[in-house]
Amino acid sequence: MAKPEIDNRTHFLLRLAFVWHIALTIGLLGGIVPLWQAGKMAVWLRLLLTIVMLTGGLASTLAAIFIRRGEHRGRVISLVINYLGFLFCFLGTLHVLGVFLGIDALAETFPRGIPYLGGIFAGYLVSAFGDRYENFPKRQQAFRRAGKIIMGIFGLLFLLAIRTLPGLLALIKRYNSLPPYLLTAGAILFGVMVWVLWRKDSANALKANNAHEEMLNGLLFLSPNLLGFLLFFAAPLLLSFYFSFTNYDATTKVSDWVGLKNYISLLNLTIAPLSSPAQPATEVLNTKIYDELTRITLFGRGFIIGAQDKLFWIALRNTVVFCLLAVPLSVIPALLLANLLNSKLPGMKFFRAIYFLPSVAAVVGVALIWQWLYNAAVGYINYSIVSVINFINNIFGFAIADPQIRWLSDTRTALLAVVIMSAWQWIGFDTVLFLAGMQNISKEIYEAATVDGASKWAQFTKITIPLLAPTTFFVVTTAIINALQLFEQVYVLINTEPPGGPANSTISLVLYLYVKGFQRFQQGYASAVAWVLFVVIFSVTLLQYRRQRGGTYA
Amino acid sequence: MRSKYRFLTLLGNLATYAILIGFAYIMLFPFIFMFSTSFKYQKDTFRYPPRLLPREQVTTVVAGYEGEKPLYYVSVGDEKKPYALVETNIKAGVYADPNRPEITYTVPISKVQPSGGAENQKSIIFNGKEEALWDVPIDGKTIPMVLTNQTAVGRFVDPEEPSREAFQNVRLSEPVEKLTIRPQNYKEVTELQGLDRSLSNTALVTILVMVGQLVTSVLGGYALARLRFPGREQIFLIYLGTIMIPFVVLVTPLYQLMVFIGWVDKLASLIIPWIFTAYGTFLMRQFFITIPKEIEEAALIDGASRLQILWTIFIPASVPALATLATFTFLYAWNSFFWPLVIINTGNRANHVLTLALSILRGRAADNANLVMAGAAIAILPPMIIYILAQRFFVESATSSGVKG
Repeated sequence: MAKPEIDNRTHFLLRLAFVWHIALTIGLLGGIVPLWQAGKMAVWLRLLLTIVMLTGGLASTLAAIFIRRGEHRGRVISLVINYLGFLFCFLGTLHVLGVFLGIDALAETFPRGIPYLGGIFAGYLVSAFGDRYENFPKRQQAFRRAGKIIMGIFGLLFLLAIRTLPGLLALIKRYNSLPPYLLTAGAILFGVMVWVLWRKDSANALKANNAHEEMLNGLLFLSPNLLGFLLFFAAPLLLSFYFSFTNYDATTKVSDWVGLKNYISLLNLTIAPLSSPAQPATEVLNTKIYDELTRITLFGRGFIIGAQDKLFWIALRNTVVFCLLAVPLSVIPALLLANLLNSKLPGMKFFRAIYFLPSVAAVVGVALIWQWLYNAAVGYINYSIVSVINFINNIFGFAIADPQIRWLSDTRTALLAVVIMSAWQWIGFDTVLFLAGMQNISKEIYEAATVDGASKWAQFTKITIPLLAPTTFFVVTTAIINALQLFEQVYVLINTEPPGGPANSTISLVLYLYVKGFQRFQQGYASAVAWVLFVVIFSVTLLQYRRQRGGTYA
Repeated sequence: MRSKYRFLTLLGNLATYAILIGFAYIMLFPFIFMFSTSFKYQKDTFRYPPRLLPREQVTTVVAGYEGEKPLYYVSVGDEKKPYALVETNIKAGVYADPNRPEITYTVPISKVQPSGGAENQKSIIFNGKEEALWDVPIDGKTIPMVLTNQTAVGRFVDPEEPSREAFQNVRLSEPVEKLTIRPQNYKEVTELQGLDRSLSNTALVTILVMVGQLVTSVLGGYALARLRFPGREQIFLIYLGTIMIPFVVLVTPLYQLMVFIGWVDKLASLIIPWIFTAYGTFLMRQFFITIPKEIEEAALIDGASRLQILWTIFIPASVPALATLATFTFLYAWNSFFWPLVIINTGNRANHVLTLALSILRGRAADNANLVMAGAAIAILPPMIIYILAQRFFVESATSSGVKG
């Protein structure tokens, strides 16, 4: 392999990169000392910054060495460092200038721009309309161009209407202290270095091949997603795990390591025998720790179960009950409906569309509607019940009394009300999934069965249900996972203070987490609740993955 | 035989349609209720038995009286006639003829005179007790009666002949009504809770989240599908594994992160963390691997950059997948409630999104079903319209969630 030709300019730029990395190493490693001397800063932040600077410094040294030796690894390391540095400085500049907070100001002016957004959409429609003239390229071109011009004009008007210019000017005015200047300078420096090493000539000088280019492109393309994912998903996830072992309180900012204490007090149960069924709990339980949860009878003896965190167990019970009721109530009708829809009769798409409608509506909106349907005095649900009862009474001469259910304020019916509403909202979604699964089953099997004289019902139970098993499994596990996260339905539909009333009859695990973490701000404890919930949900998910890997469902 | 089979099939089909229509009614009814109630007068929402169509009371102008007077049905003789209510809270007695005590007459006290004069009122033994007798004018005749009860009535007059009057209990009278709509509910609820701002905020947040997520997902999906680099498979597996992790596990530390960056109570917190999703990347990756490699290789040899290839080959070929992801994101962003509830201050109305505003409205307008339903309609209508226009993609986004793994 011939030694690549290196022109003077590239030679100089690579020299520059070398010097830059030496300087960066010194800067980063040297910066660690003042970091620990500086006042007020959280220990974890110092540690984090130290680790970042140390890694950065060492990587920078490596980059300098490899570039000097003309090895391609140097280019990769250098590009990664400079790219990350550029992103950090660039986003830091935006942050310091208040661009992200400026979204609030944008929200103020955004309504004025909405009509122009309609104009942009109209322009898109014009250009899309051109596709009708596929056989007349000239006409198609004309439509596309017209569409682009319309979109451009309205886009410009939109930017003017939402006051982009004054906003940008306001940003420039924020260059009144050192940090924005420093960060901007950093962004420019890092950006220039990225350009220096990204150039084709530099790449050739460092013996880059196609695989190298592909790798760098891959990292570059994935980087926005991956970095955002790390920052807003992976890091909080780990942090949440850490919090669950502390007594973190967001109001007092106290955060001490307490080990497993949160988990223990969450899960701590005790059981004690009772001498008589009505014996007061204070006589058998250590009421400083335990609250009475329930009483049971086993082998003819009475026992009392006490819990350290009674509300958690009530929330767990409610969530499980909700799951056990809402999942069958949505999945079974969905299966039957999908079976009916899976025919060649006309109008099936129309029905499918209607059934799916509740799935697109916000749970909050749906809960507001159902709150009035459930109204004890004038609601449609009680009205229908009364109408049906009157009808039966008239026909058969019974005298069934009007039950007058107070759906949302009766401890016996409040959770049921949530179940019915949720099942109603989920049926359509499950129906669509089932229908997709059924349409994957080969028609020939049914034809063969029809020839053999199998009835529709036999076809449903002997063919559809067994072959649909993977879909059913998926639908059921998804429904369980959704049901375990019950929150909005209760929060809006029942809407008591504290949430989860009446008398805690509807408090769910997530609602309990919300109360602990965001009403009482015991966020360490709330994190422990979250992880208990996570373990439950994860086991369901794991079951599903196992099954999917082994099964035929892809 | 054949015709019998046909008949059974027909019967089966009819039953199928009956069930399907029944369920369609159940699915649609709450929305029908929402729209109809959102056009009602508040009084109408409390009527029992409930009625779907909004109605209002008919009013009329009566000669000799000021302003519009409401009409009620009044029994005149054997007929029911619409009379206008002109005066309320008139003290009245319920009188009965001692000879026919089963019929009672409600007559204002001012119209009744003591029988035999005030000094010397006659009386009668009625139900074993001595009761005073009153001269009650009934249909032009005067009949002595006993007072059995006291009440308050309204004075109703015939709008065409105001001298013809009648007295009866206002609350028990059936009002004369006509169908109506009250679109002001939408205006009122918008002003009450600042829903216009919430609506534009929700639109802004949704648009930015959609655009941001499409960009990062397309770039990331392309990298995971087509570009080889060390760690790609591991990253893909991690992404796949995290799709099912519930948001509630993240909510506490994400809140802390927002506190640290300073985005609590800011719209940025509703947008930026939501544009990087494993699910979207996964979805795009799954679609991109189905696109044949040959086209791409030809373009590479022609010297096209990866970005050009992505823009000119992959994106035009994956419009359905993009639309599916866009609808999914749209629904998620438009309808999300838990995170806004946690991160946006309930007092900071300028940064409310619709779901948050609605949950507050529920408490503020607890007695105004018409206003609450108008608010719910404002939140539900946009996704509904988009759903009707782009139904295919909604259904696909639902089924594509079943293709995981």
